[in-house]
Amino acid sequence: MRVILKTRPRKKPHVPIEAEGIIPQNFLRKNDLTVYEGNRERHLEDLFFVTVEGPAVSPDQVEVILTGDTGSIKRVGEYMNAGRIIIEGDIGMHCGNFMSAGEIIVRGNADAWLGREMRGGRILCEGNAGDYCGAGYRGEKRGMRGGTIEVMGNAGDFVAEYLSGGEVIVHGNCGDLPGVEMRGGTLVIGGNCSRPCGNMTGGTCMVLGDPGELLPSFRRNGSTEAEFGGKKFRMAVFRGDVANRGKGTLLVREEAIISRLREG
Amino acid sequence: MTQGILIKNAYVIDPLSGIRGEIMDIAIRDGRIVEEAPPGSEVIDAGGCLTLPGGIDSHSHVCGTKVNFGRYMSPEDMRAGRTSRKGVMHVTSGYSVPTTFGNSYRYSTMGYTTVLEGAMAPLEARHTHEEFTATPHQDMLANTLFDGNWSVMEAVREKDVRRAAAIVAWTLAAVRGFAIKLTNPGGTEAWGWGKDVANIHDPVPHFEVTPAEIISTMIQANEILRLPHSVHLHCNNLGVPGNFQTTLETMDLAPPAQGDRQTLYLTHVQFHSYGGTTWRDISSKSEEIARSLNSKPQVVIDMGQIMFGRTTTMTADGPMEFKLYMLHHNKWSNHDVELETGSGIIPVYYSRKSLVNCVMWAIGLELALLAKNPWQCLLSTDNPNGAPFVKYPEIIALLMSRRMRENERKEIDPRTEHYVPLFALDRELDWYDIAVMTRAGQAKALGITRIGKGHLAPGAQADVAVYPLKPESLDPSVDYQQVMAGFSRTLYTIKRGRVVARDGDVVVEGANSTIWTRARVPPAYDMGSDPEFTRKFDQYYTVRLRNYPVQDVYLPRGVCIETEAAL
Repeated sequence: MRVILKTRPRKKPHVPIEAEGIIPQNFLRKNDLTVYEGNRERHLEDLFFVTVEGPAVSPDQVEVILTGDTGSIKRVGEYMNAGRIIIEGDIGMHCGNFMSAGEIIVRGNADAWLGREMRGGRILCEGNAGDYCGAGYRGEKRGMRGGTIEVMGNAGDFVAEYLSGGEVIVHGNCGDLPGVEMRGGTLVIGGNCSRPCGNMTGGTCMVLGDPGELLPSFRRNGSTEAEFGGKKFRMAVFRGDVANRGKGTLLVREEAIISRLREG
Repeated sequence: MTQGILIKNAYVIDPLSGIRGEIMDIAIRDGRIVEEAPPGSEVIDAGGCLTLPGGIDSHSHVCGTKVNFGRYMSPEDMRAGRTSRKGVMHVTSGYSVPTTFGNSYRYSTMGYTTVLEGAMAPLEARHTHEEFTATPHQDMLANTLFDGNWSVMEAVREKDVRRAAAIVAWTLAAVRGFAIKLTNPGGTEAWGWGKDVANIHDPVPHFEVTPAEIISTMIQANEILRLPHSVHLHCNNLGVPGNFQTTLETMDLAPPAQGDRQTLYLTHVQFHSYGGTTWRDISSKSEEIARSLNSKPQVVIDMGQIMFGRTTTMTADGPMEFKLYMLHHNKWSNHDVELETGSGIIPVYYSRKSLVNCVMWAIGLELALLAKNPWQCLLSTDNPNGAPFVKYPEIIALLMSRRMRENERKEIDPRTEHYVPLFALDRELDWYDIAVMTRAGQAKALGITRIGKGHLAPGAQADVAVYPLKPESLDPSVDYQQVMAGFSRTLYTIKRGRVVARDGDVVVEGANSTIWTRARVPPAYDMGSDPEFTRKFDQYYTVRLRNYPVQDVYLPRGVCIETEAAL
């Protein structure tokens, strides 16, 4: 089954839409879905042109396609457990909250909190992701626990904060403090970032670009080889965060360290 | 405001007016109780249902910076209690630390019309008052923290009671506070040095004053200022096994009462009635505490009952919260308020499988059952520390029904009975006791009967709760489920002459007032022009003295109780 949701023109396009109802399993039965526009509850049909093609007997046969002006739609795919959501453009905050299985593909950019506290499944963002990608919500002790998030562009600050399982891959640059408070899982940063992995207690983080000046609470622990995108890299291994008695692993390219030393 | 309301056939218990359960009518006009309702009044037929003055909570944490921190450090709690918009009711969320509207609606549907916020840091008063305004169905009062106030401790060291009184008078008026709150006096200041005080004679670092000296001086200052409420004290050593000795010593500090109100109010005494030396041999010392209480009419306590389930602890007692953190290793917030006090917040889960928790649960009930005079032991959970206040009806049912306690006994850790006397107590409280412990006692202890709180005599504020309970035909010791359901949801909650909640739904927007006190002092004792006091602000505070007082705009409907200080 394919469900196509095309946004209708709105009088006030800047009013955000909260659409935690847009998940594949909700389209199996023909029930009346509602979403919030600002503080008003609306029928799905009021905000979207809805087209349904073909049948489905289980949620994993459902594919939801979102097109149009989707950049201010929040919470799409919250608690999703099967099927696939494809977003042709940008998507708003909190896409894929708590998702446990299935797949979300964002062709444009994703706003903050992409895959927050995700449990499983896969998210692919072909553009850039905002802050707190794969993080835990404020006050939550654990962030993403399983699954994969792959961002082809750049990501904002606090990527994979409180990460405790699963894998976050950012091909471009990250902002400040990626992997802060990490407890487990894997974070791979293809580009540059600053102050990675503060307070980490477990897990592995690999930075292939310039990590900036490392926090002083990481201890050098030999070298290793790592592979990313078909290329092999010589990586310096750091353990930390020592200030937190952490046993996490931070991998940084030897070249980046050497060039830093030369500058400094 | 509606013209008038006539409540007919009400089974009224109004302890302050000496009414112990009579079928009568109550007439309301312009927000006050009157002899006769004006013509054309709305008539409510109570049909013999229990009708009480509006409930008063004399110790609850519902507004202010630490409550708000509890909200945003617990996203799981925010997801726990969501209700959607309905009529005039806003969206609410949260269970143990709900949104302000959540607190207000839930209190209102339980018949509560007045709530005292248990701890307001003076420096952070503005936030508390802003949240008061957003708690529209209860009149609010703020206990103001003086436990680690540098100026007060210096006055205590100089043995200058009058100066301490002057500082209290200025601060209460400046922050629109209601009464003096001491939370682990001296202990929060010691915590700034990474320490705590071990007993009431253990000196505070640097200031070299003892908690006993702080408590005694503040009691004297409170009486000099003739404040409506007494000193409101959270004793030292909260939650420490063997702390009942500290509590007994503290109770001995209370001087005999001059008027008809107590000189010392001890809050959440359940947390202060532990015997034993470690968590392994913790036992109940409620009998010792109750014996002391029964011999001291000048002391009033509240229970601080814990109930099993999830909640959030929050207190100005920073060192205690650190000890809790070392037990649980869960998330923890710790906060220092410059020159004044501190605070800590930790989410907890009280379990029926934990012997310690079962003993704590029993102690609270024992205190209420062993206190001979219900006016001296008031119902509270120290919301949300012991349990969210929505558990009050369950506590009432437990106190009224031995059978319910026996049923609970089968659910909890079987070893509990060896550590507590609860199951040997036959006493079952009656409707009158409950009316005292949930409103009349509070009004008297807080000294707000004069402004028409806590009773239904003509001239009183028309705060009334009608519960769907018929005391004439209902046996609470058997039908405790009905008691629980009845106290959870009023038929009508009337606040200042308006029906605000009906059958569990809030029906009007609400507009509360904030009650605060101003003690008039002679010009020589006006701290606003005292050079030494001003210097404290210039040197140490991040705000200047002239920017410190809360502006009137923060209290859209302030009600000031003025007193004449004997200085």
